Amino acid sequence: MSPHLRSDALHGRVRSMIRAFVCGDAPPESFDAIAVDLVAFQAERVPGYARLCAARGVDPRSISRASEAPAVPAEAFKMASVFAFDAREAIATFRTSGTTLGARGAHAMRETGSYDAAALAFGGAMFAPDLTEPRVPRPPVLVIGPSRAEAPDSSLTHMCALFARTLGASQEGSFFVRSGVLEVGRLRARVASLPREGPAIVLATSFALVHLLEDLGSGAGSHNLALPSGSRVMQTGGFKGRSREVSSAELRRDVARVFSVDERAVVAEYGMTELSSQFWEATLVDDRARHGFYAEPPWARVVPVDPATLAPVPDGAVGIARIEDLANVDSAFAILTHDRVRRAGARFELLGREPGASPRGCSIALDEMLSASAAKAADR
Amino acid sequence: MIRGADERVADVRRLLAAACRVYEERARMATALARSTGLSAQGVELGFASLEREASTGELHALVASAGDAAHVHVILSANVFVAPLRAIAVARAASGRVTVQPSSRDPFLARALVDAAHDPAIGLAEGSSPSPEVDRIDVYGRDETIAAVRSSACAGVVVRGHGAGLGVAIVTAAESTDASARALAADVVPFEQRGCLSPRIAFVEGPLERGAKFAEVLHEALEAWESSVPRGTLTAAEQADAARWRDALAFAGPTWAGARHAVALATFAGPATLAVPPVGRHVLVLAVASLDEARVAIDSIARFVVTVGANDPQRLAASQAGARVVPLHARLARLGAMQRPPLDGPVDRRGSV
Repeated sequence: MSPHLRSDALHGRVRSMIRAFVCGDAPPESFDAIAVDLVAFQAERVPGYARLCAARGVDPRSISRASEAPAVPAEAFKMASVFAFDAREAIATFRTSGTTLGARGAHAMRETGSYDAAALAFGGAMFAPDLTEPRVPRPPVLVIGPSRAEAPDSSLTHMCALFARTLGASQEGSFFVRSGVLEVGRLRARVASLPREGPAIVLATSFALVHLLEDLGSGAGSHNLALPSGSRVMQTGGFKGRSREVSSAELRRDVARVFSVDERAVVAEYGMTELSSQFWEATLVDDRARHGFYAEPPWARVVPVDPATLAPVPDGAVGIARIEDLANVDSAFAILTHDRVRRAGARFELLGREPGASPRGCSIALDEMLSASAAKAADR
Repeated sequence: MIRGADERVADVRRLLAAACRVYEERARMATALARSTGLSAQGVELGFASLEREASTGELHALVASAGDAAHVHVILSANVFVAPLRAIAVARAASGRVTVQPSSRDPFLARALVDAAHDPAIGLAEGSSPSPEVDRIDVYGRDETIAAVRSSACAGVVVRGHGAGLGVAIVTAAESTDASARALAADVVPFEQRGCLSPRIAFVEGPLERGAKFAEVLHEALEAWESSVPRGTLTAAEQADAARWRDALAFAGPTWAGARHAVALATFAGPATLAVPPVGRHVLVLAVASLDEARVAIDSIARFVVTVGANDPQRLAASQAGARVVPLHARLARLGAMQRPPLDGPVDRRGSV
């Protein structure tokens, strides 16, 4: 079978799994069954992955479980090609933010269908389950971020545009960052013009929200972004020097106040440029769910691993996130991130970025130098 | 009374004599040093070879000239390279008639031993962690954050000389033997497990990729041989994590030669993004560069971190136009195999002086 046909077949199997989730059906096959075929395909088509498997002493054709697949460190996306097709076939290339040395990771895709299907299926289920029913009017979607035209290589912008286009009433006038400037006045006018009888959706990065809160100030005017009842706000990512750092609890509280929504309607999403799937807090869909704890779709897993041995840590222990994503058909099935996580039953708790080796004495500050000081979720 | 240069040189010479006594008695502190540094017993012994015990008069006059002048210098030491206290105290003593030494709490042994052996009333160990009010200069060695903290808390008028994060790079020109250069470089990689700012982390090999591969292979073999004679010590959990990640990332990016406790990776230079600086613990990135000008572009992007540049024939490198351009102005130029043993002619880190 040609590489294209194999890739298409794998995409098809992943999308079947996504469809089953949307329909509430059992997955048509197991996670491991798709994973082992994906790993074999990627090791054949991605030279770097073949080298990594060899270096780790893993025969990619003989693994039987997803957990046996070596994970690709996220920084590899800055150093080498991580795709299983000819570069000329890429229809989208998402890039991470730059680092001190200007390195940007690239996640190229020869098709975005699985990405889009995964984002809509799980995003819809976790963030807008009541708004995706056929007879429910489409809500207005307000993106406190740039449009695709302004940030064509941002996977986050791609996702927000997808939500605006698919979940929302109209994409027109949905984006409130232009040329890097947050248009508070236009946002305020847009909010004022929203019909009050139906909910609205706001999608934003954490640092954009901090800038918005600062622009609004703490006076009486700070409350004039009140959204209609039932509205919700998605926040994603960290700050990475783009705004002052604010605790997630403080940010959530202030966002809820400014938009006049319940704190449980301020929902965090966790994703990375290097992935095709996202993870969501479950506070909108589960009364017992807590902020800071994320749910996974059936086609992606977050496994906390020991950063030195890369072996899974015992349940409840903190490790760094090894993310297995079946929707990453043409790139890397398993990715080693810098994020610290802990399993908590069916969910995982996101605990922030791994600090890296503390530079001893005059030894170089690795975190500053390594290309590994890569994108956080905010920089997708 | 202001001390003259000769008197300052004599004061430093007395400190060198103390270093000789400490060296002779080194077995007494070897176990403690192995514990505090994580180095193997052989690694401690190898580290002692870098303890300065002699210097020419010219070198000492250069040290005095670079040391500045102060009434009372307070020296804050780090724990990265256990022999580093000698030079730090020597610079302070050359500058001042009164020196207080604050050893690293993690690795205080050599600093204490030197101060004890010196029998110099002008040098004493600091009591407590705050400099006394008479201090008019602080020499601080360590993390950039530590230096910033010392600077921000220093009293008005106190000069703070910080010596922060840095690394070494090696340059192998097209004219030089890859085999000899690789073997010599291995001798620079092993001491102190690359925790010091003189430790080489990146080697730029002029020529085609195959030449870089040959160099990397010989370096790998040399490091394998070193492992037999001087086993790598213990890395911290964070260092191990960095090493695991770097090895996997570089294995993905290109060819690597990995031993049980070292790794060498090969890459071509395709912009600063490829400068995945290796972590400590005997890890080297070999970058094949088409020319020294390409190496210069690469080094420029990390110039502020480069403390030393190693070459097989430093004089020849410096004499060539392209070679001179490739070495940052502030960096020491050293012979491969001797990068960890610069002459005692001033601080190892000259970045503050340019």
